[in-house]
This record gives sequence, structure tokens and C-alpha cells, in this order.
Amino acid sequence: MPQLMVLFTILLTVGAYWLTKTLYLRYRHPLLNIVVLGAGLVIATLLALKIPYEAYLPGRQIMTSLLGPATVGLAVPLYRHRSLLRRHAPAIVAGVGLGSLASMLVAGLIALAAGLPKEVVLSLLPKSVTIPFAVEIARIHGGSPGLASAFVVATGTLGSVFGGTLLTWAGIKDPVARGLAMGTGAHGQGTAMAFMEGERQGSMAGLAMTLAGITTAALAPLMVRLLLPG
Amino acid sequence: MKKNLQFLGQLAVLIAIYLVGNQIVRLTGLPVPGNVVGVVLLYALLNLGLIRLEQVQDAADFLLRHLVFFFIPVAVDLMNWGGLFYRYGLMLALAIAVSTVLTYVGTGWIAQWLQKGETSCPN
Repeated sequence: MPQLMVLFTILLTVGAYWLTKTLYLRYRHPLLNIVVLGAGLVIATLLALKIPYEAYLPGRQIMTSLLGPATVGLAVPLYRHRSLLRRHAPAIVAGVGLGSLASMLVAGLIALAAGLPKEVVLSLLPKSVTIPFAVEIARIHGGSPGLASAFVVATGTLGSVFGGTLLTWAGIKDPVARGLAMGTGAHGQGTAMAFMEGERQGSMAGLAMTLAGITTAALAPLMVRLLLPG
Repeated sequence: MKKNLQFLGQLAVLIAIYLVGNQIVRLTGLPVPGNVVGVVLLYALLNLGLIRLEQVQDAADFLLRHLVFFFIPVAVDLMNWGGLFYRYGLMLALAIAVSTVLTYVGTGWIAQWLQKGETSCPN
């Protein structure tokens, strides 16, 4: 019987992924987010069938077992674009560094000023980086993986809907700078929008996404000590 | 058949690097995630020529193409957090919005400034 439940939850999740991905590929609208709609569909089904969250866990563990190795694969596009990386090194290092720092610092300060619980603040810090990094960064420092993923998606949706307009409004026209901002500010969702602007913006955003993850992971221990001492 | 075996071999390489990354974190006590160490490690191995692109790229490209799939089960955790968004939704939205705007503008601005020296070459 438990095996049947595992099978059901996996099929449900795969089905939700297939459905929402088909929908996204058809309309390509940033609000048709696969993570939001997919997880929403799974949660709604579990609630409707009165299946408790705990029953979802064994299937979740099986499904996410390849997430780590998949994330390691992010080194492949990084390596493919290594000449781009070297050529724009100053802009990349400064842009990704400043952006990652600003993202954590500003979000952390506002959350602290608003009196949000510590676990929530810690889950909010890595909100600009891709989910596999954000989830782990949050977990190490005492945040919640689920919350972290929600904040990441909220950030990504905001960035992918308004990011391009914002950059234009701020007078940022250089394609490299635009790509870097989209990847640093809104991870994979920003990268998807950057690719719609052009190949160059997209590649830069992809690089920025992975590098922002590494930078945020490296800066997070300092940031946590600074914002939440003791 | 040969292609499938090749794919599994590449997957094994990625899994091994991921496990080594986790092991490095465990042994050194570094406060960073094992998957981050894994990415840095694979990038270093590719640059050193100890691993060739052909030894990992099919599996990596396949997994990255479906990376979003793995995010769905993680986000299902939100089932336990519904109340939080009622209580703190506004402040959370504010924190996310302000910091995202500043990140975009900050990164874009400094990157554009540093790109000025770069004369616009084609492509």
C-alpha cells in the first residue's frame, strides 16, 4: 500500500510537470510558471484527496535524488562559455558580486525591520538564486527549503515580468549588462526572459545565474552573522 | 544500447562529483552547500582537462533541460506554510520587490559602466 502511494505521488508530480510545461511552451508567458502551477496542482490534489504531506515525502525523496547531480551539471554551460567569461570578467565579477550582496542585504534588512521570524528571514536571503542552491543555502543556515523555493519563485516571477522594462527605464542598454542583471536578479526565470531578448543576453544571464549561486553561497555565512548575530 | 550506457556513465560521473562535493563539505565543515562545491569542482576538472566535455555533456544537458521538474516536489513543501503568507504576505512582498529592483539596477548599472571600456565588437 505505501508503495502504491509513492507511485501515485510520483505520477501525480510528473503529470503536473508535463501539463504545466506544455502550457508554458504553448504561451511562453512569465506568469505561467511551471513551479507555481505544478506545485499548486500537486498540493490541490493532495488536499482534495485528504493525503497528508507526510505521505508525499517518500516520493519526494526519490524524485529529488537527481537534483544534486543535475545542479553539478551547471558547470557544463559555464565551461562552454568560458571565453565569454574571460572577456567580460570585470563586468561579471562586479555585477554578480554587487547584485548578490544587495539582494541578500536589502531583503534581510527589510525582513528584520518587519519583525519576521528568524527562520523566514534565513529562507529569504538566497531568494535571487536558482532553487537547488537557494534550498541548500537556506537549509545550512537554519531556514526552510520550501519557503526558500517560494521566495525564489516570487523573485523570479517579478523579475521576469518587470525586469526588462525596469532595466530600460534605468538606462541600461548594454546587452551584456542586461543579461547579467537578469541572471543575477532572477536566476533561471530571468535567464528565460534574457534569451527572448537575444542569444548574448541569454548566455550572460545563464552564466550570472550559476555564478550568483556560488557567490551567494560564499557570502551567506557572513551575511547571516551580520544580520542575525548570536 | 551503447548510447544508453554512455548516458548512464555520464550520469555516474555527475553523481560521483556531487557526492565528492558533499564529502568535501562534511570533512572541512565549510558552511556552503555540497552542490555548490560540486559545480566548482566539475568546472575545475573540465578546465584542467581531467574530464572532457564529451564525458558529461549529454547527461548534464538532459538534466538541465528538465531541472524545473525537480523544483515541483520541493515547492510542495509549501503545503505546511499557508498561514505565513496571510500574516506576513505584505512585508514579504515588499522585501522581495525592493531587493529585486535594487539587484537588477545595481548589477545592470555597474556592469554597463565596466563594459564601456569594451568597444562594441560584433556579436
